[in-house]
Amino acid sequence: MISNEKVLELLKGVIDPEIGLDIISLGLVYNVEVTEDLINITMTLTTPGCPMHSSITEWVKNILWQAAPDKNAIVNLVWEPRWTPDLMSDEAKKALGI
Amino acid sequence: MQQANPVMAAYAPPFKIIVKYFAAAVIDFVILNFLLLINYEDISGFYFQPKILAITHMLTLGWISMTIFGAMFQLVPVVLEVKLFSEKLAEIQFWIFLLGMIGLTTGFWNFNTGLHLNASAVLLNIAILIFAVNMAGTFIHVKKWNITGWYLIAALIYLIITAVAGLLLTYNLWHPYISINHLQYLKLHAEVAVIGWVTMVVMGVSYKLIPMFTLSHGYSMSSGKWAFWLVNIGLVGINTFFHFENSITPILVSTLFIAAGIACFLFQVYLIYKNRLRKKRDIGIKYSVFSFYMLGFVTLFGSVFSFTDLSRIPNVYLIFGYLVLYGYLSMLIVGQMYKIVPFLTWYHKYSSKVGLEPVPMLKDMFNEKYALTGYYLMAAAIIATTASFIFNSQVALLFSFGLMFLGSLIFTFNMAVIFRK
Repeated sequence: MISNEKVLELLKGVIDPEIGLDIISLGLVYNVEVTEDLINITMTLTTPGCPMHSSITEWVKNILWQAAPDKNAIVNLVWEPRWTPDLMSDEAKKALGI
Repeated sequence: MQQANPVMAAYAPPFKIIVKYFAAAVIDFVILNFLLLINYEDISGFYFQPKILAITHMLTLGWISMTIFGAMFQLVPVVLEVKLFSEKLAEIQFWIFLLGMIGLTTGFWNFNTGLHLNASAVLLNIAILIFAVNMAGTFIHVKKWNITGWYLIAALIYLIITAVAGLLLTYNLWHPYISINHLQYLKLHAEVAVIGWVTMVVMGVSYKLIPMFTLSHGYSMSSGKWAFWLVNIGLVGINTFFHFENSITPILVSTLFIAAGIACFLFQVYLIYKNRLRKKRDIGIKYSVFSFYMLGFVTLFGSVFSFTDLSRIPNVYLIFGYLVLYGYLSMLIVGQMYKIVPFLTWYHKYSSKVGLEPVPMLKDMFNEKYALTGYYLMAAAIIATTASFIFNSQVALLFSFGLMFLGSLIFTFNMAVIFRK
């Protein structure tokens, strides 16, 4: 069965093309839960109403489906708690010059 | 198992139609810069001249409004989380608007103020009405309104007023009937167009796009709300008092309301910019920063102009118009196009491939070095053109228009590269 760590690693492949950083480093993924037949991702985006809105969640599903076609990937897009820059990894902060 | 995401399908921008609007705008921009270059000898003195009127409308309709239409078809669905009412109407609007724009431009150029000019104005009004219907049909399905939405509704109302005023003015050139000065109504038409239609869109969209492009968080939006009310009160004043003769004082007060509103807007932009996380200024931001400085300057210039006689400065109307249309608006459009066109194309071509194969980043979609050269050329052209007008030098004007034409060629080249990526 695919592990949480593996899922997180896969999600590092989902890159915000505008910022040039992946969604894990940006701190957009809040929770990953793997069950018998589901992969549940709880995540947010930097700004509500972002045009990347729908595509990013779609990419997450795509990448998970590639790795675990037997599971149903579900993405819950949440706005609470709101994303803040503090959630970014140190490397990401450095890349943005913070 | 993969499931189709209904959100994605619903809000995906109608790529083909948006590209059509943007491509027409970019081509129009190059042509009008070329026309300025080869007709530089006719660009001086008072503004009410056939070629100046023609080129101004190529700029406001073909370049600025075409871009806004395309951008709204792209942004309204994502910003207001709603589906565009009709792509078909957007397509029909495009062709009618294009025909009307070409008709109006050629009509002014030859100063054929009869049926030719008037029929074109009617076509433009029809196209704008179609746009209004399409937007209204979209807006009624919006569930969560935000400040950007309010600005867009206001802009739409002013667009209609601009179009109707334009039609009445062209009719007045054919069969004079306006009892007060034609030029006073022309001023109303121009002010409602630039402040009501264009600047309202610029303001509303900026509140959404600038934080997105710069990753800005944690600022208050109250200045942006003040801007909305101040500018609107001023515009209602303008729309009322311009119908009367000798209404200098109320018009002046309205103008000051607008100036205060724009100052609030600029302060809001400053707050957003100050709180940005991405410190590096890319090409789109560079252009935009130039434009916002210019907006501050023309607002001050316009306020002084409204109660001081500046006609002793040579070509003062041309200087003011040029700085508004090029310094503020064209620079902003070029900058924003460098942000939204790569995204639009990228989204269309690569979005479905993310995670399946390597895809380019947005900054790899065009040559940033060329874009930077274009930026310096355009900025230099704006300063040089203003100086040429002040010193009334035709040779310098030829040179300045040449710089702008080169700048617009580089921009067009980069846009073509992005579309072909």
